Amino acid sequence: MLDRPFRTLLSREVLRFTRVWVQTLIPPLLTSLLYLVVFGVALGGRIKEISGIPYLEYILPGIALMNLVTGSQMNSSWSVFDAKRERYIDEVLIAPMSDFQIALAYSLGGTLRGVLMGAGVFLVGAPFVGLSVAHPGLLLLIGVLSAFAFSALGTMVGALATRIEHISFLTSVVIQPLAFLGGVFYSVEMLPEVLRIATLFNPIFHTVDAARYATLEISDLNPYPTVAVVFLLAALAFAGAWWAISRGPNLRY
Amino acid sequence: MNGTPALKIEKLKKTYSTGVLALDGVSLEVGAGRFFGLLGPNGAGKTTLINSVVSLARPDSGSVEVFGKDAYEEFREARRMIGVSPQEINLDKFLTVEETMLFHAGYYGVPKDKARERAEELLERFALVEKRKQRVNTLSGGMKRRVLFARALMHDPKVLFLDEPTAGVDVELRYKLWGYIRELNSGGLTILLTTHYLEEAEALCEEIALINGGKIAAQGTSAELKERYGARNVEEVYLKVVGNGIAG
Repeated sequence: MLDRPFRTLLSREVLRFTRVWVQTLIPPLLTSLLYLVVFGVALGGRIKEISGIPYLEYILPGIALMNLVTGSQMNSSWSVFDAKRERYIDEVLIAPMSDFQIALAYSLGGTLRGVLMGAGVFLVGAPFVGLSVAHPGLLLLIGVLSAFAFSALGTMVGALATRIEHISFLTSVVIQPLAFLGGVFYSVEMLPEVLRIATLFNPIFHTVDAARYATLEISDLNPYPTVAVVFLLAALAFAGAWWAISRGPNLRY
Repeated sequence: MNGTPALKIEKLKKTYSTGVLALDGVSLEVGAGRFFGLLGPNGAGKTTLINSVVSLARPDSGSVEVFGKDAYEEFREARRMIGVSPQEINLDKFLTVEETMLFHAGYYGVPKDKARERAEELLERFALVEKRKQRVNTLSGGMKRRVLFARALMHDPKVLFLDEPTAGVDVELRYKLWGYIRELNSGGLTILLTTHYLEEAEALCEEIALINGGKIAAQGTSAELKERYGARNVEEVYLKVVGNGIAG
């Protein structure tokens, strides 16, 4: 399964975002730095500690996860959509590779970009809050699983999209609002009951909450069932990506 | 491998989701080492036929074998033996000319050392050495066509599908490509060529099939076809078979 054709497509995916790193890696990190400066440094002094943690430290894992999720999803959705729109995906579709391998390579390419961006936020935040992570293994696990889940979702949408607006819709209308409402900047305990329950249906909330536990040992939910939830999300999203690569419009017709 | 046809297509049927019947039970056999031409008007089903062999199109029914390997059940083995130079330019815009060649080899499982060696040879052959570090999206149309052609040969296929390889190519390059295709064929490579240029088919192909409305309308060597239809050249045969009496 991890044969040379698969590894080649994966390395092509990595080359794609590293070649244009000024566009793919730097702007999101600058945006994160802005969040840290505005919410953490400028407003943070006026916001009380949450669960005994200074506000800037509290929001850092969430901002990292927000970046990781949007980065991984955008990477795969644009990569697949671009390849389809300009037809160079045909070269991959007619190669001796299964649809499963193709979906996995695109999903892992986006996963790597997401993880790099998430790690980048921690590095950018280090001068402000230091770099102490309570459970690094758990943080890595939750980061990789979350990136994979959203990258696979991006692969699916990229394969299903027939117009550029479909990709923008995923990013601007689905992922970004979910990311902002995913408890990055607040604890769900601070929300009214209805919103608190609604937040439980937001997958990004689960990833943010688990990352916060892994970093700071505080969370709204028990983090271990959350890992199972994110694992399930990743499996479902990948099944969708696999199906879409195999059956998506304008791929194999 | 002796006696096993390079390509054996049986009763291939393909209906598009729009309801268009693109292939209506096409059966075709291309012998190993043959230079085979597939002619027909736009929309006749030429590209659909090629795409069906490499699973870019999903046929409704029928079977395809490439050197005895089932194109769907044993798709890895079958696809490794096929090189495709498509009608539409579909080069990966993120890659340079050299990377295009090397990544393609990787997609087909060619080891890196062998791929580098092969890339050198093909870059040289297609006069692409000076352009090797250039991104493919900055090349001229003719150059892109050359890269497509070279890319299709990177994994050393046994059958080469050339879908309108000289479309939009200037006369000089066309003759160069013809020369190279002939050389490849005389080296044992089976070639399936689709073209609009009838003189191209006549000049190159040992055997020709005319496809129209998703069906093979006539098949044979150009001499056989000319004799059968009382024609002076393949163009006349084409007009008689496909042109619905345009030739008079």
